[in-house]
Amino acid sequence: MNWNFQLGIHPDADQLSVFVEGAATSLERERMLAHLAECEECRKAVFFMQPHEETQPATRTPVKGWIWGRLLPVGLPAAALACGLIALLVHIWPRDSALRTPQQVASLRTPEVLPKTKVAPSADSEMDQRSGAQKRSFAPASNLSNQENLSLRKSLNLPESSGQAAAKVAAPETTTANLSANAPVGHAGGSAGGVMGGISSQLPLNGRDVVNLQQLSTPANTQGAAAQNSLAKERSLPQLEIAKDSGQAEAFARVSGRITDRSGAGISGARVSLRDAGGKTRQAITGADGSFHVTELPAGRYQLIATASGFKTVQQSIQLNPSQLAMLQPVLDIGTASEQVTVEAGAEAVNTEDSALSQNVDARAIGGNGNGLPQSGYARVFGVNGDGRSVAYGKQFLALDSTGNLVLSHNGGKKWKKVRPQWTGKAVSIELTPAYSSEAPPNPKNESLGKASEAAVFLLTTDAGTVWASKDGAHWHQQ
Amino acid sequence: MDIPPANIDQTEPTGAEACAASGGSGIAVEVVLGAESRLLPEMLGEELWRAASAELVELSQAEFADALETIGARDNFGLDPGKQANERQREMFWRALHLEDLAIARGCALGRESAWRRFLAQYREPLTRAAMEMTGSAALGEELASALYSELFGLTEREGKRWSPLLRYSGRGSLMGWLRAILAQRRVNQFRKIGRETALGEIEPAARVPEQLELKQLEDLRMAIKMALSSASAEERFLLSAYYLDQHTLHEISRVLRVHEATVSRKLKRATEHLRKELLRTLRGRGLSRRAAEEALGTDPRDVDINLRKLLQKTEGDPISNQERQE
Repeated sequence: MNWNFQLGIHPDADQLSVFVEGAATSLERERMLAHLAECEECRKAVFFMQPHEETQPATRTPVKGWIWGRLLPVGLPAAALACGLIALLVHIWPRDSALRTPQQVASLRTPEVLPKTKVAPSADSEMDQRSGAQKRSFAPASNLSNQENLSLRKSLNLPESSGQAAAKVAAPETTTANLSANAPVGHAGGSAGGVMGGISSQLPLNGRDVVNLQQLSTPANTQGAAAQNSLAKERSLPQLEIAKDSGQAEAFARVSGRITDRSGAGISGARVSLRDAGGKTRQAITGADGSFHVTELPAGRYQLIATASGFKTVQQSIQLNPSQLAMLQPVLDIGTASEQVTVEAGAEAVNTEDSALSQNVDARAIGGNGNGLPQSGYARVFGVNGDGRSVAYGKQFLALDSTGNLVLSHNGGKKWKKVRPQWTGKAVSIELTPAYSSEAPPNPKNESLGKASEAAVFLLTTDAGTVWASKDGAHWHQQ
Repeated sequence: MDIPPANIDQTEPTGAEACAASGGSGIAVEVVLGAESRLLPEMLGEELWRAASAELVELSQAEFADALETIGARDNFGLDPGKQANERQREMFWRALHLEDLAIARGCALGRESAWRRFLAQYREPLTRAAMEMTGSAALGEELASALYSELFGLTEREGKRWSPLLRYSGRGSLMGWLRAILAQRRVNQFRKIGRETALGEIEPAARVPEQLELKQLEDLRMAIKMALSSASAEERFLLSAYYLDQHTLHEISRVLRVHEATVSRKLKRATEHLRKELLRTLRGRGLSRRAAEEALGTDPRDVDINLRKLLQKTEGDPISNQERQE
């Protein structure tokens, strides 16, 4: 071999090509590498010898299988279409499912404003009614589309209707209150009605059993003559707006209260049934704090039955007049025996011209003692202003019990607190300032009433004959 | 094309000389054996002659057998020096040759017209393309290829006789590879000539004269590098030189060594670490503390290449300059 890699001796082209092509023996390769490591020019030659890497032309990879090859032009658009459909479904699904949730459906309702006519009660119980919650029907206020069936979902899809629906969802009680204040026909008091409407609207969102809080609307003048098949009709939002705007909403009685045990703790899950003379039953399940609300009750006599597991069943007969709000606080005793108490409530005419305050079951009728408010017994009912034992002004309720304690509620009787006596002696009577008795609460929009509201509202007379006045029911000063 | 046959009847083997890359012309080394000392069996010779299609390039069986015998003797049949090849090893060596390429090359070297036609038809275009790739220019590539053609054609004379570099082709590699090697050597030769004519302004300014202490450290380092490099394998030294001195990429090196790029990277890292350790050990052996040795070397192994660049090229003799001195 002529591997003369001494100084100055370089491998010839044949040796280089043998090395580059990998044909050299291990010894030749070792010697060539040793030379290349020290010889810059031979290294250059070796690297020059490397053919330039040509960029591989973009060859189309043959598709395996004739089926895939043929389906490829169709498959790609199909895949894109499928992706688009999936994206569309994902985009649409949440809205669709949201509409199906009972909470949303319940909150969309504005039960305070009801069509004047042709709202037919069902002969079935409300529980049965609720099984088709979305199919609960309202007839339109006027002659508009009495035969027309417009679903809620459809109306939501309309641009103008969806806007209205959103507004109602956002503030249903506000809308109701404003509309009610201007209503020429009285109903259950603007504020009171609005508050209760708000409560009933929010209750489903509290996770309560909203089914029992729904109500059937039966106007007094159509009571007993309802068309059963009208329940199957769906009510659209535009129609609801028409009903509101017409101001012909009918006033209904409402029953609200709290079921407690002897210790005053609320009983949750208790069933409250209100059965009218015709046998139609409205039911409600108390919430976590024992409270219940039944609204849109047609006037009439009702049998209230409160049952709870582990407690005695309480029955109570109440008379509800239009636009009344009955505040009940049944107390259940532990046991299984049932107890029936008959409450004779005198029907009280309501001044519908001025949307009077809640005029509920006459307090004097409860227990028959005339001064038993608030009793620890079955009911705490507020009657007409001027009975000397209880007054109501807007959402503010004041009541005197038999021992002379004054209790105050700022939220329409939902919660009570005892007013610290700031007067000397025993309070014997309480009344509203005569100018405001039997009047609607001051409306901020009404300037004259706004000015009048600055005067004292509540008047309290002690056994010493002194008169104390308070504007809010909590702070009193002697007159 | 009437080409006088090249003179290959050199009975005096002159040994290997510098190839064309070194600037000198290669000298044909031909060993003409007598008929009585032929190692190639006649039947095998005929078989290989047919396999090489030597008849198509007007190459006789005897001429082709001579070529095979000469190549076998020159490369010791692929065995290490000093080893004697047996008949089987010789046969395997001959059968492994690129016989057709060898026949064409030998036919061209002998001036056979049919061989040249085949050569031109088969290699002219690839050769020109390869020259263009090396030069990066069509004109320079054409020029380089034309110069090579004339040289291969045997227009150069040595001692009054025509001589063709194709005589040096052994057939162990492909003829195209051999042609690329020749082209690369010529291209390097061009670089060398251009380098001589570099303008004075392009010459790097003289390095700063190091301080006496630095000179001492530099000398230590130079000696340490020399010893460390001597302990490294040939492949490691090639890797270090190609990567750090020539700035070739791992991919380019991997193509030369015919291994994967990752293998080159791994080997290079190992070589660098080995070199650094050897340098530190050598420096400490020369009386430097570890800290001083690391300072002299540079804590970062990648700094070694700077020192290599300054010193490695001077550790070995410059073959070109030696060649020039010989000339």
